[in-house]
Order: sequence, then structure tokens, then C-alpha cells
Amino acid sequence: MHWLRNKWTLRALGIACALLIWEALGRTVGEALLAGPLLVIPELVELVADGEMPRELAGSLRQMLLGYALACCVGMPVGVAMGRSRIFDAILRPWVNMLVVTSVASLVPLLIVMVGTGFGFRVLVVFIASVFYIVLTAYQGTRGIDPRWVGVGRSFNASRLRTFWRILLPASYPFLITGARIGLVQAIRGMVVAELYVLVGIGGLVNTAGLYISTANLLALMVTLMAVGVTANEALRYVGRRVAPWHEERYANGA
Amino acid sequence: MAAKLEVRGLTKRFEQGTGSTVPVFAELSFEVANLEFLAILGPSGCGKSTLLRIIDGLVPADAGAVFLDAKEVTGNGHAHGMGFVFQSFDLFPWLTVRGNVEFGMQMLNLDRPECRARGSHYIELVGLSGFEEAYPYELSGGMQQRVGIARALAIHPEVLLMDEPFGSLDVQTRDLLQDELLRIWQQEKKTVIFVTHSIEEALYLGDRILVLSPRPSQIDRVIDVPFGRPRADDIKTSPEFLEARREIWALLKHSARI
Ligand SMILES: Nc1ncnc2c1ncn2[C@@H]1O[C@H](COP(=O)(O)OP(=O)(O)O)[C@@H](O)[C@H]1O
Ligand SMILES: [Mg+2]
Repeated sequence: MHWLRNKWTLRALGIACALLIWEALGRTVGEALLAGPLLVIPELVELVADGEMPRELAGSLRQMLLGYALACCVGMPVGVAMGRSRIFDAILRPWVNMLVVTSVASLVPLLIVMVGTGFGFRVLVVFIASVFYIVLTAYQGTRGIDPRWVGVGRSFNASRLRTFWRILLPASYPFLITGARIGLVQAIRGMVVAELYVLVGIGGLVNTAGLYISTANLLALMVTLMAVGVTANEALRYVGRRVAPWHEERYANGA
Repeated sequence: MAAKLEVRGLTKRFEQGTGSTVPVFAELSFEVANLEFLAILGPSGCGKSTLLRIIDGLVPADAGAVFLDAKEVTGNGHAHGMGFVFQSFDLFPWLTVRGNVEFGMQMLNLDRPECRARGSHYIELVGLSGFEEAYPYELSGGMQQRVGIARALAIHPEVLLMDEPFGSLDVQTRDLLQDELLRIWQQEKKTVIFVTHSIEEALYLGDRILVLSPRPSQIDRVIDVPFGRPRADDIKTSPEFLEARREIWALLKHSARI
């Protein structure tokens, strides 16, 4: 039975099982509650072919990427500064710790009052949803930088500026990238939350789909969102491997 | 011959959890001659690493001074430009072998062709030609420490400080690197301070051995190693070597009991 040990065989087997259970469940409770994959897949094909859903999705993703890019630009430097400076740490950590556990959804009504429901609102929700995760990961990573590397820099008389650019920054790449990955998943969630409130984009479609008698349309949209999330995550994992090939190997060797 | 390096009255204390400050070492004084290979031998925790870090300028001393070519270098607030070889190699994992070796030269603002040329020279000297683009995780411990040695030599330091550089290597690799180090030392002509807790290593490598007592450390004995140069592996089994080893062992055992 050694074919069972193959990673890909096992994965395919797992997916097949899940689909079977989903289909069985769907047939038991009916498509008004849970449409099975045999209904959802054709629906998904139709959604893509029709063109509206891809168009809305592309619009949503553009706004999401803008908010997410801002979150990275702000979150990474702030996280690194907190990790390397006691003053930044003392001032910002209470806020970051508080806001990271606050659900963005609960802030949405307040944000609507403050900035309205336009483009800026959606970018802001995405930004808030992801920035604190990016800050915290960068913070933990830079705090944990091996002091021996800084010692090597000192022995070679590296200036503070060079210590930062040549030692602290490369040492934090793996954590910045992990933060970017977690942040991106959060950004996609934030995107859907904002759109569910103001009924635009892919979130708007989800909201409308909730009104249909069959859940096939809703589930097809959810499958789409999951696919987007998984793809984004894998893409960043790939970037991480390219930027810091030494990192995963180090941990693979148990170092 | 004038001393290359002089350590005069060096004292260092560390705060302990209870607030008491037992000195790590007190009033430590010794000299290292130009191009000498000085081995410092002492039990673990006696302050060998701290001593080297003070000599390198990484840690301030509480009292005393270090002189390089009769000029005081302590207290100027920066490292003294010596080559430091660390016990745990401490290579930068994000740099290739070449990147690691060139790092120190880049901190000295040497221009690129100079960095390249010197880098290649020292990579070849330590026997790593062909591994220039490898990352540290792709190298064995012994190879990593070869990079550590090349990195330290590449800045053309006046003095090479080595802190138990082979302490974490297996016995075969260690013996091999001892011979490599002797070859490199003969070729590069450097003043070396080599810290170890291995009697055999101190005897095999050193011109003189400074034996430190446990904390608060003092110089227990200075031993002139009676073997000529170049040295080869077979002296390790000669009767003189074994006898010298036994004597130092007795000395360490005696001081440990106090
Ligand atoms: N930064 C420090 N703070 C407090 N104690 C220290 C510090 N560095 C070293 N020590 C103490 O000083 C002693 C000597 O340490 P070290 O120089 O590393 O010894 P060795 O290298 O001979 O093993 C040890 O007991 C260690 O606990
Ligand atoms: Mg030590």
C-alpha cells in the first residue's frame, strides 16, 4: 500500500472524500440549505462565463490590493521600529494589541459615519483588517533577531545605519513575508466585510445570492473567494522562498 | 621584540541576579609578541570569551587597558579592527560564502574589485574554492568555520582572535582544521590569540599557553610549548607531548579543587 504514502494521492483522496460528503449532505438537506458540488460546479462555470462576477471580483481585488499595499507600507516599518526601539514599543504596543483583537466588522458602522461608503471606505476597512497583523509579525520577528549577528556587525565596526540595512533588515525578511501572508488573508476578509455592508463588488453579489432559493450561487461565490485566498497565499509563499531561500532550509535542518 | 598586544590590569565584573558582583577576572596582565600564536586555556565559564570581547572592543572593561603596538585602544568606543572568529561561526545565513567573506571589507569601504579579489584569495586559502555562491545552510560545520576564518582574515587584521573556533566540531573535522589553521597561520603571518578548553589543542597549536584558573580567573601558569615548527599530527603521540599534556592536566585538576 505504499501508494497511500504519496502526498498527492493522499491529498486527492482527501478532496474526493470531502466532495462526496458534501454531495451526500446536500442531497439530504436539499439545495435550499446546502447545494451539493454537482450543482455548485456548473453554477460556477456559468458565473465565470457570464462575465459579471469576474468583473466585480476584479474591481474588489483592485481596492483590496490598494488597501493591502498601504497596510504593508505602513505596517512593516512600524513593526520593525517597534521591534528595535523601546520607545516605539512602549508607545505603540498597547494600541496594536488592542486593535488586533478588535473585529473590523464592529468598526464598520463607525467608519461609515466617518468616511462614508465610497472607495476610501473600502480601502480603509481592508487597511485596518490587515495592518495590525503585519505590524505584530514584523515586531515579533525583529525582536527575536539573533544578537550574535549584531555582535558580528559590531566586531566589523558596522555603523548603525549599515547594521540596520545589512543585518537587521535581511534578518527580518522571513517575518516580513510571513506578516504579508497573514495580512493578505485578513485583507481579503476585510474586503468582503466592507462590501457586504455597502453592497458592492463580490461582497454585494454574495449578499444578493443569499436571497435566492437555491444556495448553489452563494456557494459558487464562496468557492471563488476561497480560491482567491489560497492562490494569493501560495503566491506569497513562493515570493518568500525566492527572497529568503535560506530561511526554510535553516528550519528544515532544525537550526 | 616589542609586544604586539599588551593587556594590563584588566578587570571585569558582571552584575549577578542577587546584585553581588564577583569579578570574572581581576588584574589580568599579559603580552603577546608579534606573530606569536598564544593559546589561552581555561575551564568553561572562566571568562575567556569575555576577555576576547574586551580585547576586540565589543565589551568595556571595568579597569585596565589593552595596548596594540604600544597604543592604548580601550575606551575608544568602537571595535579595534581585529579579526574575530566565533565559536558558533555566526555567519549571516542570508549571504553566500562570498557575501560573508566580503562583509567586513565592505564595512571598511574597500572598493568592489578589491573586495572581490581579496575575497577570492581568502576563500581559496581556506580551501573553499567552488563554494563561493553556496549559502551557509548548504555547508558542514567545518566548512562554515572555514568561512568564519576567511571573513576574519579578509580585513587584514593586526591580530586574529579565535574563541574556541573548533569547539563545536566533531573530532576528525577538528583535527583537520587545526592543521589547516597552522598552514594558514604560517602563510598569512598573523598574531593569534586562540582560546580553547582543550589541552591538546593548546599544546598542538600554541607557541605559549596561558593557563587560567576558574573564576575569579587569574593566570595560573604560562607554558612555553617546546615543539618546533612546522608541526605535524604525529607530535600528538610523541612522549614529550603526552608528558606536557599530563602536566597541564594535573595543574588544571589542582586548581579546580581549590
Ligand atoms: N553579559 C553578561 N552578563 C552577565 N554575566 C555574564 C555576561 N557575559 C558573561 N557572563 C558571565 O561571565 C562568566 C564568563 O563568561 P564567558 O566569558 O563566556 O566564559 P568562557 O568563555 O570562559 O566560558 C560566566 O559565568 C558568565 O555567566
Ligand atoms: Mg566562551
